Amino acid sequence: MAKKETMTINMGPQHPSTHGVLQLVLELDGETVVNAVPHIGFLHRGVEKLAENRSYHRALPLTDRLDYLAPMSNNLGYVLTVEKLLGITDQIPERAKVVRVMMAELTRIKSHLVWLATHALDIGAMTVFLYCFREREQIMDMYEKLSGARMTSNYFRVGGLSLDLPEGFVDDVTSFIDDMPGHLDTYEGLLTGNKIWQKRTVGVAPISAEDAIDIGLTGPALRGSGVDWDLRRDNPYSGYEDYDFEVITRDGCDTFDRYKNRLDEMRESCKIIRQAVDKLQPGPILADVPDVCLPPKKDVVNSIEGLIHQFKIITEGFKPEPGEVYQGVEAPKGELGYYMISDGSANPFRMKIRPPSFVNLQALPKMVEGKLLADVIAAIGTLDIVLGEIDR
Amino acid sequence: MPEMLSLSNDPILFLSLMLAKILAVFIVVILIVAYATYAERKIIGRMQTRLGPTMTGPLGLLQPIADGLKLFFKEDIIPAQSSKLAFLLAPMMILVPAFITVAVIPFGGDVVIKGFAVPLQITDLNIGILYILAMAGLGVYGIVLAGWASNSKYSLLGGIRSAAQVISYELAAGLAIIAVFMLSGTLSLRGIVAAQSGSVLDWYIFSQPLAFCLFVITSLAEINRTPFDLPEAETELVSGFCTEYSSMKYALFFMAEYANMIVVSAITATLFLGGPAGPFAGPINLLLKVFFFMFLFIWIRATFPRVRYDQLMFMGWKVFLPLALLNIVITGAVVVFL
Amino acid sequence: MIKELIQGLSITAKHLLPGNSTTVEYPKQRLETSERFRGLHHLVLEHDREKCVACYLCPTVCPAKCITIEAGEDKNGKKYPTVYQIDMLRCIFCGYCVEACPLEAIEMTGEYELANYKREDFCFTKERLLK
Ligand code: SF4
Ligand code: SF4
Repeated sequence: MAKKETMTINMGPQHPSTHGVLQLVLELDGETVVNAVPHIGFLHRGVEKLAENRSYHRALPLTDRLDYLAPMSNNLGYVLTVEKLLGITDQIPERAKVVRVMMAELTRIKSHLVWLATHALDIGAMTVFLYCFREREQIMDMYEKLSGARMTSNYFRVGGLSLDLPEGFVDDVTSFIDDMPGHLDTYEGLLTGNKIWQKRTVGVAPISAEDAIDIGLTGPALRGSGVDWDLRRDNPYSGYEDYDFEVITRDGCDTFDRYKNRLDEMRESCKIIRQAVDKLQPGPILADVPDVCLPPKKDVVNSIEGLIHQFKIITEGFKPEPGEVYQGVEAPKGELGYYMISDGSANPFRMKIRPPSFVNLQALPKMVEGKLLADVIAAIGTLDIVLGEIDR
Repeated sequence: MPEMLSLSNDPILFLSLMLAKILAVFIVVILIVAYATYAERKIIGRMQTRLGPTMTGPLGLLQPIADGLKLFFKEDIIPAQSSKLAFLLAPMMILVPAFITVAVIPFGGDVVIKGFAVPLQITDLNIGILYILAMAGLGVYGIVLAGWASNSKYSLLGGIRSAAQVISYELAAGLAIIAVFMLSGTLSLRGIVAAQSGSVLDWYIFSQPLAFCLFVITSLAEINRTPFDLPEAETELVSGFCTEYSSMKYALFFMAEYANMIVVSAITATLFLGGPAGPFAGPINLLLKVFFFMFLFIWIRATFPRVRYDQLMFMGWKVFLPLALLNIVITGAVVVFL
Repeated sequence: MIKELIQGLSITAKHLLPGNSTTVEYPKQRLETSERFRGLHHLVLEHDREKCVACYLCPTVCPAKCITIEAGEDKNGKKYPTVYQIDMLRCIFCGYCVEACPLEAIEMTGEYELANYKREDFCFTKERLLK
């Protein structure tokens, strides 16, 4: 028998479907993948280190740029961690909590829409891409209305929110979640029943529940392997315990089930948002912790105390007691955790981020070895990675 | 019945008419190629809630020309490590077979000029179908050569995919058509059109629905259109066999893709839909049918995902080929016993 | 199987009908930015001069360190910035400067077309910011 030679190709960092700047060194035997090694770091900006030289307040915009498809989830994880570090978690006003949940769920839909769009595009169904972006655009508009930016929202604050909801915002949200299930049906109409889509996803990029747990897979990818684990339910934060929602789990361990999971998650998110809208009561949006929260603008402009207060917080920042905390949130892609150490100064001593994509990416070699080149694309899509978060 | 015009009875008229026909067909095909890109972008754009080109000229109608000019003026890059001659030849090898296939397609009945009957067809080969299949087979050399000569791994993979794909699907496509000429009893396209010339019900799409479906699907695969666009699958192989091409050479590949679409549509129309038969003048009927198929191809592209390499092979060899064979057997039985 | 394929085709065909386009033809049409939009900064005028008193809160809070201020005093002894400059190439449009300013002397506008040709063109001096 002739000697078998394999071919090494570099997929990425410039490749249409490595979702940014992931480099995969693939060893191919014909079209079969013998070995896949992800190379990361092309988008490294040193977010963790940068945070050490910034006050807690000024480190917040850095988190927008982790998973840039779900900025509010990143913000949420960060502010929750700092609040935990400060010990003010129970002082967060109800309205702030509800808005946080509402926005986090909208963000989940937004992120999943991009996932579906790119995943479908990678597999060749390009129309779904634009339909998804059409709906995502509406969420972006809401983001803009609320926070002033379409992507880098920077909206939550330690202690609450930066601004109250603008007029008409709740109506926008309600009409969006009224329409969303219909749109989801459209996407499903193009994909779910389609024989080609099924062929491309059923049984593709499998990962068993044990492997998934060993690797540390989280989020929809884990739940697609039948592990019933969702931080929103199992370790609730920001008042998630008060919402009635289902954790979608399927045990097909394949791309198709992960796809169905995420679609159903969007439906669940719509339900959570509806409950949040119902829960929304007028009230303060910032915790009453004068050492931490900026005073309301009108106080700053009109009263000398407010002015001094503003100066003090901005120039000195706030100084949590020395200690360390970890807080994870169920970001759209999985468990996003911040591990924060304070040495009593105004800057974090160390901020370690546990990005879901980074951990999930480790499953990729396992998913594609011995499979075909085309499955690599499906696997990258189904893991829903974002390089901003992997490289940090 | 007037005599058929040929080289022996009036050489001058024959040659000049022949040239005129070639020129006319060529121009029409080039125009359709140019505006097929426009139509594709418009239609897919609309289907995807976009607008497609709007800026160049009214409704963006000058877009194909602008694109052509742009590609023409782009720097022509030949990779240093490529195999130069093959790299240069490949785009031509893919475009030329696509264009010359049109020569055998009849686009109307006979017209009488100076007492001679002139067929509206560039040439009527008595082995027309074989010629078409042969040309389709030649086209794949261009792709394979392009993939190999570029000396790039992605191109190579694209080239290999294409070779495997075209070979397996050509078999099925060829077998699907066999049923047609079992009914018509001739390999000449003119003869096949004549055999369908009765009423609409004589069209082979009604007597050979399975062959029709098989042929449309397999020819989609042969011309590398979605859902079978694996050789250039941009999300997998960057751009497949034409990854390394730029400027006019890339444009040739691009034109070949659309020319192939036209050819396949025209062949399908001829074999199954009575060719130029229909309510209007012959060429218009044929064009309408061609446009219908092209719209179908574009529509399919906008809707379906891409199949995977092994699934493609599976379908080619284990689904379409047996079905085509079965169709032949059934047709044969019908022809013999009825 | 066939049913689903046709269902897919009918969905795309439905979108082919006119009235489904979501395109905004950019240079001709523009999106309305929201009131809170965080675009180019603007220094607020008061009595024909900038309201800013060079209190240095905005450069302090700015995470990108892109605001340069030099304070001076006018003849009435009122502090004002002799230099106020924002480097738009560094600015991340976080809005912290606006949030921090105790006088509401700086605000952000809906201006988002900031592309330019030269590096210097991105240095927004006081005069440009006051416009
Ligand atoms: S928007 Fe943010 S980055 Fe830009 S100048 Fe203001 S504080 Fe600095
Ligand atoms: S915070 Fe306001 S007043 Fe202070 S320097 Fe900045 S713009 Fe001027």
